[in-house]
Amino acid sequence: MIDRLFNWADDRLALSRGGRHLLNKIFPDHWSFMLGEIALYSFIILLVTGVFLSLYFVPSEHMTVYHGPYLPIDGTKVSEAFASTLRLSFSVRGGLLVRQMHHWAANIFVGSIVVHLLRVFFTGAFRRPREINWIIGANLLILAIFNGFLGYSLPDDLVSGTGIRIAFSILESIPIVGTYLATFLFGGQFPGSGIIIPRFFIIHVLILPLLILGLLGAHLGLLVRHKHTQFPGPGAREDNVVGSPLWPVFAAKTTGFLFLVAGVSALLGATTQINPIWLYGQYFPWKVSYAVQPDWYMGWLDGALRVMPSWEIHFPGHMIPNAFFPAILLPGITFTAIMLWPFLEAKLTGEDRREHHLLDRPRDRPVRTALGAAIFAFYFVLFGASATDVLANYLSLSLNFVLWSFRIACIVVPLIVYPVTYKICKELQETPGAGKRKVHNIVVRDAEGGYHTIPAEEYPGFVGEEAPPLDVDRIDVLTPAGASEPTPGIYRIPRDYTD
Amino acid sequence: MTPPRPRALTAPSRARAAWRRLLAPIGLAGATALGLLAISVVPPVSAAVRAATPLRASSSTSSSRSSAGKVSLAVGKTLFDQSCASCHGIEAQGSTLAPSLQDLGAGTIDLWVSSGWMPLAVPGAQPLRKTDRYTRAETIDIAQYVASLSGYRGFGIPKVGLAGTSVQKGFAIYAEICAACHTITGAGDALSAGITAPSLHSVTKAQVVEAMRTGPGNMPRFGPGILSNQQVKDVVAYVVKEIEHPAHPGGLFLGGVGPVAEGFIGLFAGVGLCILAAFWIGDRTPRHGDDAHPGAQNDDDGPAGEGGGREREVEHV
Repeated sequence: MIDRLFNWADDRLALSRGGRHLLNKIFPDHWSFMLGEIALYSFIILLVTGVFLSLYFVPSEHMTVYHGPYLPIDGTKVSEAFASTLRLSFSVRGGLLVRQMHHWAANIFVGSIVVHLLRVFFTGAFRRPREINWIIGANLLILAIFNGFLGYSLPDDLVSGTGIRIAFSILESIPIVGTYLATFLFGGQFPGSGIIIPRFFIIHVLILPLLILGLLGAHLGLLVRHKHTQFPGPGAREDNVVGSPLWPVFAAKTTGFLFLVAGVSALLGATTQINPIWLYGQYFPWKVSYAVQPDWYMGWLDGALRVMPSWEIHFPGHMIPNAFFPAILLPGITFTAIMLWPFLEAKLTGEDRREHHLLDRPRDRPVRTALGAAIFAFYFVLFGASATDVLANYLSLSLNFVLWSFRIACIVVPLIVYPVTYKICKELQETPGAGKRKVHNIVVRDAEGGYHTIPAEEYPGFVGEEAPPLDVDRIDVLTPAGASEPTPGIYRIPRDYTD
Repeated sequence: MTPPRPRALTAPSRARAAWRRLLAPIGLAGATALGLLAISVVPPVSAAVRAATPLRASSSTSSSRSSAGKVSLAVGKTLFDQSCASCHGIEAQGSTLAPSLQDLGAGTIDLWVSSGWMPLAVPGAQPLRKTDRYTRAETIDIAQYVASLSGYRGFGIPKVGLAGTSVQKGFAIYAEICAACHTITGAGDALSAGITAPSLHSVTKAQVVEAMRTGPGNMPRFGPGILSNQQVKDVVAYVVKEIEHPAHPGGLFLGGVGPVAEGFIGLFAGVGLCILAAFWIGDRTPRHGDDAHPGAQNDDDGPAGEGGGREREVEHV
């Protein structure tokens, strides 16, 4: 019956040809290839929970009187956006859970993109032919950060309102066009003419998600086109991919992984409070709270604003405000450098522009690894600098001392990280068997009091010596017409990326 | 007899000698820096010991007196002479070490003693909150005694009832005048140069009023011209009802420090658990051929182009 239905549909849609091709796509089995999937699945969770939230959220700055179970705000004037967020948190069944899942999933989304980017960077997966996909990925990161900031701003609470105020000033700091841009976006001087929440809303729920979806499609499409990279391994070569086919092995794995990521979001959403806007209250431009931080993925920018010395450059007749350097120039340089890196590396290493499908182990590229680690350390220090006040408070140190420590650290730490990483890479290269599983030894004492070392007993599944690679049949995934489904297992198919 | 010739230093050994000369100052500087750090982080042992074993003048009398509810200026004087007069002077007239307490009301003294700021343990930018070493009655005795020295002129110890207060109004005032330093959740935070706005998670009603009305340390004073008694009481109601017992229906409170704590949870618990899941599902065995040169196993594959052709061939399945 089902077969007949499929045949009927296939006669008219002719999907099986492409479908067959897709189902046979080989996915490498190494766990580090699943980091990008965390981002994909947390994005799906964001879409699903976001649709639920949009049913209850009112994107308006009109003032209204909140009536509800939260006493300290009951009967006070707040904006529609804030009141509707309170209602969906306290008065909608499951609303707070979904809201918290949405926020945690956003944190996981951006975090997994960064981890995925690091994996791709350190293993050299960005090299030809994948430069375009690398650039698309960097743009996805930018969009994710922007959309996270917009979503964080929507409830119109005291903390996020302060963030919008800072964003306004950052926008204003761009030379020549900044004041116009800020005025156009906000419809006047801060806080604008009551349009910033509706505008942020439409950008957050429509424009940026569409862009992200489109780029995500391109990202995955190019992934299929290029096929996966892979680590050097048994039978793995530049001209093939070793792994499990999409159907049935990888499909089962990845579906399970979707549920695991959803489970982590739900676990955090159910047990750990995030962004308690009822404690913050409605934003008014004349109210401000101390210790206001953005969500973590904006932390490095916040930290850069904090550690930046109070320098301003005066051109004749024109002043470039201080905020321009850490908040516009730094991210501009950062993302430009990220996107140009594949080309820079190809040029700097003097390497020919061959295609690379086999990944590097980070230790085998000590310069790239050390450079990446040093630059990452720089951003990590900036990230830490966004918590100067909290650190000073909890460590009972002077805020000035903490701030100056970060100023020095963001220069010194990368300078230390580079040689240390380089040295570690070199050492690992020289150490045979580094990173391999060890055979455990047990020290025993005999009757005469002597000590001996014997190898530990194998526990189930323990493989001290790795088995030699099996002979793998070639391309038998692609069975001739009429044959049954391929059996699961390790397959090797050739790359058709030769043109 | 020729005088012994100075040993010619070769370049590397000269460098080593220079290093050796530098070693002592570098080590000293490092040790000093470490020591300074330790001092600034860890309170001195004597202060810790004193805080742990409070001096009680007459705990038996004070407890009996507190039930009676009477103030004993004699006990206050004894305690003042024991712990305060050495810096503030026997008549609370002040000295080079400490300011005069004349003309200060009992409310000011009560705040500084009950919060454990005084007696001072560690001189610094700001006295630190400690467990107060006196009972409530002893604290009041000291406060009243100091106030009596200048004829009870300043702000007295308030009695705060929360009947007829509004947490809504309190929250609005709190967000406007308190949150800028104490943070909107009352967690407190570090201000510049070692000054901190203390946490409000465990303060008494009287302390909130005394702090607002007298303006301790860096804190501004909010006198009756700025806030009415009713408004002050509203703030007190918000602090003791909401800030000290924040509503956290969403789960763990995370200390009320906002996205700093949330970011760490999101990254380490959220992304971390997802990565562990990937580690669990994925293949983590180091593959046998790790060290093999790519392309070393030149066994069975034909040229890629041919394979590509075959792949396309069988796509029609």
